[in-house]
Amino acid sequence: MTSVRIQYYALLREQAGMSRETVQSKSTDAAGLYDELRERHGFTLARSQLRVAIDGEFADWSTALVDGAEVVFIPPVAGG
Amino acid sequence: MTVHSFTFSDQPLDLEQLRGSVEDRSCGGYVSFEGWVRDHNDGRQVARLEYEAFEALAVKEGQRIIEEAAYRFGVTQARCVHRIGLLELGQVAVWVGVSTPHRGEAFAACRYIIDEVKHRVPIWKKEYYVDGDSGWVNCERCASAALDSDSHAAHGHHHADHSQDPAVSALARHPQGLVAPDYSRQQILAEVGPLGQSRIRGARVLVIGAGGLGVPVLSYLAGAGVGTLGVMDGDSLDASNLHRQTLYAITDVGRPKALLAADRLRALNPEVDVRPYVEHAALANLAGIAAGYDVIVDCTDNFSAHFVINDVAVTLAKPAVLASVYQYEGQVQVIDTHSACLRCLWPEGARDGAVGNCAEAGVLGPVPGVLGSLQALEVLKVILGIDSPARGAVIIVDLRTLECRRIAARRAADCPAHCVPCAPSPEPETIELDLRLPVAGWTVVDVRESAEVAAAPLPGASLHLPLGRLLDDPAQLPEGGRYLCVCARGLRALTAAKALRQNGRVAASLAGGYRLDP
Repeated sequence: MTSVRIQYYALLREQAGMSRETVQSKSTDAAGLYDELRERHGFTLARSQLRVAIDGEFADWSTALVDGAEVVFIPPVAGG
Repeated sequence: MTVHSFTFSDQPLDLEQLRGSVEDRSCGGYVSFEGWVRDHNDGRQVARLEYEAFEALAVKEGQRIIEEAAYRFGVTQARCVHRIGLLELGQVAVWVGVSTPHRGEAFAACRYIIDEVKHRVPIWKKEYYVDGDSGWVNCERCASAALDSDSHAAHGHHHADHSQDPAVSALARHPQGLVAPDYSRQQILAEVGPLGQSRIRGARVLVIGAGGLGVPVLSYLAGAGVGTLGVMDGDSLDASNLHRQTLYAITDVGRPKALLAADRLRALNPEVDVRPYVEHAALANLAGIAAGYDVIVDCTDNFSAHFVINDVAVTLAKPAVLASVYQYEGQVQVIDTHSACLRCLWPEGARDGAVGNCAEAGVLGPVPGVLGSLQALEVLKVILGIDSPARGAVIIVDLRTLECRRIAARRAADCPAHCVPCAPSPEPETIELDLRLPVAGWTVVDVRESAEVAAAPLPGASLHLPLGRLLDDPAQLPEGGRYLCVCARGLRALTAAKALRQNGRVAASLAGGYRLDP
């Protein structure tokens, strides 16, 4: 199990009902982590509609999770 | 002979003679407006009216309105006459007549002239009531109030209500040269100084979207003295905009925002050359317009516009400041020739409707206000050569928690916008067509598998090339063609069209795919 800190924005924050949480994940990469959280929170956005950032930098979905990482899921935003 | 005139008359108006004065054989439409003296105002019975004008200023402003209408709507003949002096009930107080080649412009120009005259020309109205009382009221937009209080007092009457009129301070115009703009507060900064100020004066900035983000951007840039400010917005003001678009007044609802913003910004700083474009940003029009500017600011509210603006900025190698908001959050990104662009982050694009805009998701007014202010600041940094952490990153601002986060973004090696041979083509990426009708201008490429084609052949002529084979070598399709890729649902076609574009072909995909619907 890997312990990661998650930050949600926009629609994801709404659907998760929280801005941040720390989770123990069975996943080995960012993609698996999102799928796990999507199931838990019922996120409507597919992975392909999002970007993930790890420790302050946009990252690939295949990036391996490391203990203590800070993971941010970023949906595109259009309003103005 | 072309008539473009604004005048006053102290005699009753001869409507037949006025109509004749704007008759024109080259015109197919004539629209006129008559403003009448009515028998009540604000619940009081009115017996007659008296109009008084500050003529020197009023004629100049009125003439400017006529010229604006002529320029904006392509008017051939335009005339406005406003009464002064004592008027009885039912008499015509103001008359506007416009002749144009086609009727649409005549209606629009006539409406524009009367609205602007009511807003901008300094005319006072004294009402005489049935009960014997009288008073100067509804001093519509007492433009001279902005000049100085002395000239106002010289009129010998009081204007109790115009101090409460929200439009007065914004609309009243300083005639050029009366008060010079003063940039001293920003010039004191070491990063600005006289050199920086001359850079700001020399800068040409195009702001796309004159809404929640655009209003602070435009206001601060006009205030700062940016030499040329383009305002592009195809929308008209809606009452639901006003909680966040504070440049406008409720009396402006229904009028084009680009024109409204241009008026306010000219009033704010007459030194700025403000250029309104009443149109939505699309690849077809934006590249031509943006070429004349140094910095592009994206203040639009939908993904298709965001991507069009991004692609044009990247193609023209112009720095661009992008922002968007969602409820309490916003994102800011500065792109230049070295940094990641929107497509580096979202190579597949993003679809409108997936995550909501202000109308769907809701927004508190100050949220775009803050993000737009950040954009204005980033534009000034670009102009002044001040480095910014918003370059090469997306700045995410959460205004509920007041947290700000910088996510570094690297330029993608395979970014479809940056990759030079596959610069975005001026064509839509997906198009909607009924394939049962002839498809003009496109070579239809059917990327389905052979069994699918056999089961449901396309009605018209097409080239059959299954996706896998097309991807093996997209360049097998000759250059110079325009390829419309089609599959059953639209997804394979999207991939095919993208691959073709990356190989320098003009290609689009059929939205939704081809199905055997009745």
